[in-house]
Amino acid sequence: MSRKLAVLFLAMLVLTGAMSLKTIVTAHGNGTVMMANGGAPVPIPKKVVKRGDALVPSVTQNIGN
Amino acid sequence: MPGPLEYSIWIICTLLEASVVVCSLLRRSFRRYFTLNLYMIASIATSVGRYLVLARNGITSDEYTYFYYYSDAILTICLYFALMGLYSLVFEELGAATYVRAFSMLLLAGTALFSYGMIHQSENRMVTLYVIEMSQNLYFVGLVLTYVLWGAVLKMRETRARVIQFVLSLGVYFSLYAANYALGNIYPNLGHIWTYLPPLISTLLPIAWCYAFLRFSEDARLAPARLAVIQR
Repeated sequence: MSRKLAVLFLAMLVLTGAMSLKTIVTAHGNGTVMMANGGAPVPIPKKVVKRGDALVPSVTQNIGN
Repeated sequence: MPGPLEYSIWIICTLLEASVVVCSLLRRSFRRYFTLNLYMIASIATSVGRYLVLARNGITSDEYTYFYYYSDAILTICLYFALMGLYSLVFEELGAATYVRAFSMLLLAGTALFSYGMIHQSENRMVTLYVIEMSQNLYFVGLVLTYVLWGAVLKMRETRARVIQFVLSLGVYFSLYAANYALGNIYPNLGHIWTYLPPLISTLLPIAWCYAFLRFSEDARLAPARLAVIQR
């Protein structure tokens, strides 16, 4: 039983550490998505027509538009 | 559309991935390192699929965007299983295969739930956002797991040269992507560098794995003193 709990604890510990690391790395991010597989070119979102001074949506927000 | 340089890097990367599978088959190590080979085969298939979609629809199309991000999520899951395969190899002598399997499934389920928790309030494109969020989170879980595995390799005085090479190359691969992403956010004015680097980084993993299959036999060992000098 204790080993099962240890496995559960370790899994949660790794998850917490990974999400903390993600927060640190993406803290100054502009909303772009980090992709890490293969040499294919990253898709370019369709051009957003900018009207006014509002912020331009990020890549994530453009998906499916 | 991508230029000749982008296409060249992409083709080289795909050929290198194919050569990893060929090398493992030639060295009769395909089954032993099945999860690593599975990732490489999935990556080759994804590259072919991405090329077909790109050639038909263009780089700005919704089709390519969806295909790219969905296939990336599948590849990240395959990479996660490749990493767990390495965990099984490192811990096989301890007879902890069941615990490693339980650990990997728990972590995968935890990441999936956590990702759902982050996007569950989204009303539009929930599945797409979930796939991207899950892929990102699993990437960082993989990054942490690789360093934990390297710690275990040092602690357990693992001496199998191939396993060490696989783990180290994964660590470098994950770290370079994270560094590229972080630097890209800090210095956004150098955008062209941060755009060209990821495809180049992606060639490093198949090169390192090819080298490991060709250079080291299954029985090759490294002296523990060359791994780390532990003060007593």
